[in-house]
Amino acid sequence: MGANLILRQVRQIRGGYEILRVDDLDVCDGEHVSVLGPNGAGKTTMLRLLAGVDRPASGTVTLDGVDTTRGGVELRRQVAYATQQPGLLSTSVRRNVELPLRWRKVPRRERARVATAALERLRVAHLADRRAHELSGGEQQRVNLARALALDPSVLLLDEPAAGLDAQTRSAFFADLEQALADRTATVVQVSHRAEEALRFADRVVVLVDGRVHQVGAPDALTLRPADASVAALVGYDNLVDATVRPDGSVLVGGAPTGLVHRGPVGAATVAVFGCGVRLVDADRTGLSVRVTRVTPGPGYRVVALEGAVSLLAHLPIGCPAPLPGDTARVVFESALSAVLPRAAEFPALQSSAVAIRSAIPASR
Amino acid sequence: MAEPIYEVLARSAFVSVTATLIAAVIGIGLGTVLALARLPGRRLMTAVVNTGMAVPTVVVGLVVALLLWRSGPLGDLGLIYTVQGMIVAQVLIATPLITGITMAAMQLLPAALPDQLRALGANRAQLVVRMWIEARVPLLAAAMAGFGHAISEVGAATIVGGNIHRHTQVMTTAIVEHVGRGEFAPALFYGAILVTLAFLVNGLLASVQHRGASWART
Repeated sequence: MGANLILRQVRQIRGGYEILRVDDLDVCDGEHVSVLGPNGAGKTTMLRLLAGVDRPASGTVTLDGVDTTRGGVELRRQVAYATQQPGLLSTSVRRNVELPLRWRKVPRRERARVATAALERLRVAHLADRRAHELSGGEQQRVNLARALALDPSVLLLDEPAAGLDAQTRSAFFADLEQALADRTATVVQVSHRAEEALRFADRVVVLVDGRVHQVGAPDALTLRPADASVAALVGYDNLVDATVRPDGSVLVGGAPTGLVHRGPVGAATVAVFGCGVRLVDADRTGLSVRVTRVTPGPGYRVVALEGAVSLLAHLPIGCPAPLPGDTARVVFESALSAVLPRAAEFPALQSSAVAIRSAIPASR
Repeated sequence: MAEPIYEVLARSAFVSVTATLIAAVIGIGLGTVLALARLPGRRLMTAVVNTGMAVPTVVVGLVVALLLWRSGPLGDLGLIYTVQGMIVAQVLIATPLITGITMAAMQLLPAALPDQLRALGANRAQLVVRMWIEARVPLLAAAMAGFGHAISEVGAATIVGGNIHRHTQVMTTAIVEHVGRGEFAPALFYGAILVTLAFLVNGLLASVQHRGASWART
């Protein structure tokens, strides 16, 4: 069974500064929510409030209707919080996993069985008798996660669960995490500053920037319709450039047409374009005039740096003929891989996230 | 009549071990509270503890003697020139040291550890016990330091105990007495016993520490 988490008018203050402000956020029973944001955005602060470890300066955080700051240890025991630093205790791996179960008065045999199953699920059962501090970073992260999963919590909070792991280990770690969570009904809140991890198995994503919720939505909605430039940057758009929307809907960058048509407010805007959405066309066609400055290899594509009225990065499939530095070309933007947004500098931070969040919560939940 | 050596030795050990055990209970508890709890007056308490670590034992002895003196505020207890009075003095000597080292040990643990334990579902008692286990090595060092401080001090033992033969004489006061009489051989003998005793107790504690580490591994 999962649990409902509700934040209402939550403010957190540190050193006299408001570091988190969430007006209204519901995480439904069994839902998987990712909190995506850059470092210092307030993600861990939010998780600590959800875990009942910290008390908000104002507002309420409730778990199934009970205030997390008043529920005491019994309420906290419904929540498993895997912190960013594994924080394993100076004892064996097995004892690390069993200790929180012992605190919950789980009988010895049952503890051993549950701990072994959790370690097996994360592929670290062979390390059970090793001292936790002797393990590698990746192994410690897995044990940390196994310890949280062994508690069979109603709410599982994961703070950058793969922090400090290399790309290959991260990928294997998340594959195992995904599998471990597949047969569970727990409500999961995962925090990450990496879009690919936050979007990977989330029902919804909360984008947090400077302590404010900028957007809440399904992963696809965030990718295709970012609310503003900061969200676009976080979900992986490679290019954010100033643009102008003309009354006829055409979008110009540096006075040149981009091939985009926008049915929205006229005037200053920001265009977000994925690298693979920047298309090089013949120099005699309409488009933004650019010069190739650098070509570097990427995984399955070439990264082409372009200079013109603005700087751009284009990703060209490896099979395409590669331009050379110094070549001139024109570029247009693929509409399916671009988004026209309010001008970044003029976009007001959401004063109240309630409307955005409420509208994003699926009605069926 | 000269007192049998084993009696002096047993009395010394009894006084210092008892004082260390009492001081460890008080000092580890107080040090933990001062390190973890956000109490009003915490800074003042810390300053008092730090000052207590540097107070000469003879001054502690003087204060305890004034308190326990027959006409003093605690004179009715009849503890002056008794082993119990010496234990009180040694508890006051060892407690600040154990408290100070405990505070430092708890503060040296990862700052996130208490939150981590709370997040894992530890109640207050489970959290504190686990933190003591995590800090077991410096806490044992604190106890060792307290014992060393207690068994090696002479000022308070002399003032509060009075160095009465067959009653309150301990090894350090016996050494002072023998040196005063120019009897260096028995003084050196007691000194050697003191050093050996300190070595044995520290070895025992190190063994406990090692076994504690082995236990924690399983």
